[in-house]
Order: sequence, then structure tokens, then C-alpha cells
Amino acid sequence: MTRLLYWISIFALQVLLFNHLDLTAFLVPQIFIILLITLPLHTKKIYQVLIAFGLGLLADFFVSSPGIHTSSCLFLVMLRMTILNTQDLKEEIANRLNYTARNVGVLPFSYTVLILVFFYHLYIFWIGSIGAINTYNLLVTTLTSSVFSLTVIAILQFMSLSHSRE
Amino acid sequence: MQRLLAFIEHNFHFILFIILQIICGFLIFGLNPYQQAVFSHSAASVTARSNQFSADLTSYIDLKEQNILLQSQVSEQFKNAPNNSFRFLQDTIDVKDSSSRPLFEAIPAQVIYNTTYKANNVFVINKGTDNGIRKNMGVVSSEGVAGIVLRSNAKYSVAMSLLNTDMKIIPNINDQEFFTEMVWDNSNPHTMKIVGINKLEKIKEGDLVYTGRSSLLFPPGIPIGSIAKLTPKPNSQYFDTYITTATQFRKLAYVYVIINRDESLITPLIPGND
Repeated sequence: MTRLLYWISIFALQVLLFNHLDLTAFLVPQIFIILLITLPLHTKKIYQVLIAFGLGLLADFFVSSPGIHTSSCLFLVMLRMTILNTQDLKEEIANRLNYTARNVGVLPFSYTVLILVFFYHLYIFWIGSIGAINTYNLLVTTLTSSVFSLTVIAILQFMSLSHSRE
Repeated sequence: MQRLLAFIEHNFHFILFIILQIICGFLIFGLNPYQQAVFSHSAASVTARSNQFSADLTSYIDLKEQNILLQSQVSEQFKNAPNNSFRFLQDTIDVKDSSSRPLFEAIPAQVIYNTTYKANNVFVINKGTDNGIRKNMGVVSSEGVAGIVLRSNAKYSVAMSLLNTDMKIIPNINDQEFFTEMVWDNSNPHTMKIVGINKLEKIKEGDLVYTGRSSLLFPPGIPIGSIAKLTPKPNSQYFDTYITTATQFRKLAYVYVIINRDESLITPLIPGND
């Protein structure tokens, strides 16, 4: 139940707040991907793909961009699987833990999140501007949005860490 | 089979990923107006390119047939409406042929054998006596004079090309016939030589060289080549004149054999040809 509330809260934050920041055209942060990044480690790969597809469709529904978030989420989970394959997570998988900084350590988590967030933003903005790609705009938007998203994700993870210590 | 099933089972998430990405592709390019426009534009561009490629390929494959068709059309024009085809025939037709019947006709032929590296080069064409071709008929390409028929059988003829040391042809430069022969000196397959043009003659490099009226083999005015180099001979009143041939013999593929219809009637009238 707590997990469901967490998912709804993050998704609501994305849909109601971050999708309407309108600070600059270069800032379109995608915070909700933390839900996919922190999926439980024992989740079967097929389910991960299906969850990404469903979550992406839902995100697309709220911004009227059919397929764009869905495709990006699918790309994200595949990249996540590839990166996690390089990490020793047998114990965490056996204990059915989520992929969080608290469970796998700050350093490997940061490394994974950094790559996933950057490439997710790069992918989604690339698809969004396909046919008229301006490399400068693409890179600036990707970097700005990634830095913002990483900051929010870091805050969320820090809150989670503090909460667990209490 | 078991291995295949095991492979599919092991990689089912990846197969599912591909399938779902394809669905995403349909959604992205089918339902987003911007991406749809991009896709339509790209698709139109690809279609146009593929159509162009297909057209190019088809026309290339069809080229031989088109060449043969074109040759027969030119030949027909040559025969039936000389004023609209070979400009150089006009004088001949108007002056010599009082009945308005063209004096010359052309038989299209394909070159099936050709040499350019020997001292006495020849080429063989796929038309012979069955088509009315006989010894001593002129042969032209679409670019200019190509040679003279040496002998024929029913189906084929062999012609001496301009690149033959036995070939001698009278040049006409600036509407003036020079009664010195143009010969091939076996130096290179693009150049012939005229020895004995007086230095006082008003010719210059770049002037065109045509056939004249001193031959019954070719109508006057058919290009032979152009003057490439004029070399004044020291202690002499003559130039060495080098001519670049109009016909590119290394690429010779299609020719016309020129038939002078009244050659047998004209020749006996010329003194010395009795």
C-alpha cells in the first residue's frame, strides 16, 4: 500500500508540477523515471518491460505525446538491465530489495542513476525533435533537465536514507 | 528446436521489448502530428529516391534496345527526310540529286569487334551483303567518320578504321579542301596527322575538319575531327597538322554504313575511273 502511494505521489508530482514548470524551454525534467530505476531487483525482466510500457503509456496520456514516453521508458529499462548485469546484486535480489541508494550503496546507485537519467533525457528529446534535430538545443535541454532531475532524485533518496536511519 | 525454444525463452523480454518498440513507433509516427509530418516527408523523399533509382535502372537496362530503336529512327530520317536529320547532306541532295531522291542512305549497325592498339586497326559490324553492304562504303559514327568497309559476307562486314596506317582521307577545313592526305601515324588512338598544309593557309588550332566533295564514299560535311596542334616545320613552308578524331574509337559501339545509291552511275563519269 505504501509502495502504491509512493508511486502515485511521484507520478502526481511529475504530472502536476514538473510537467508545468515552464521556467525555460530547456528544462523538461522527467522525475517519474525514478519509479522504474528503483524497481525491485527480483522483478522478472518481462514484467519490467511491461511495467515500463504501462508507465510510459500513462505518462504519454497526460502530455498527449503518444508513444514518446513509452518508447523512452522501454529504452530505460533495457539500459537499466544492461547496467545492473555488471553489478554484483545477488544478495539484494535474494532479499527482494528495491534498487535504491540505501540498499545497493550510494556510489553504484549514483553511477547507475547518472547514466540512466542522462540517456533517458537524451533519448526522449531526440525522439521529440526527430526530423529537425538541433544538436546544441538537444544537448542543452538534456543536460539542464538531467541535472534538475538528478537533484530531485538525490533529494528523494536522501529523504529515504534519513527516514531509514530514524 | 529445443535450443531455439530455449533461446526464445531466455530472450523473451528482449523480443517483447522489440515488439513494444514497434508499437511505440506506430504511436509516435501515427498519432503525433509533428512526427507524422516528419515521417510523411521522409517517406515521400524515400519513395521519390526509390522511384528515381528504379527509373534509372530500367532506362539503363533498356538502353541497348533504345539505342537500336534510335538508330533505326535516324536511319529512316536519313532515308526519308534528309533536311530534318543530317544537315550535311543538304547540298548533296539539292545539287547532285535533281530528282530530290536522297543520294545517300544509312544502314545502322552494331560494332561487334574493334581494335585500337594495332598499326592497322579494323572493326567488324553485324551487317553484311544481305543488308546491301559492299566493299568501299563509308562508315560513320554519331560523332563523325569511322572508317571504310573492306569486305563483307552475308551477315558481317569488316571495316578499316581511321586508326589504320593504310587509311587516307582528304580533309576539308574551313570549306576548303586540302589535297594532301590525312593519315594515322600509329602514335595514339585519338590523333591523325596531315603533312603538307602550307603555312600561308588560314587555319588555326580548334578548326574543324570535315569530309569534302572529292569522295563518293561520304557525303561532304561529315566531321572527321578538329585541329589539335599546328607545328611549323623548320626550314619548310609546311605545317605538321595534328587532328583529334571526332569519333572516339575506344568507345565505338554503333555506326551507320553510308550507301551511295548512284555510285555505280557516277563513278564511270569521272575521268580515270573508266
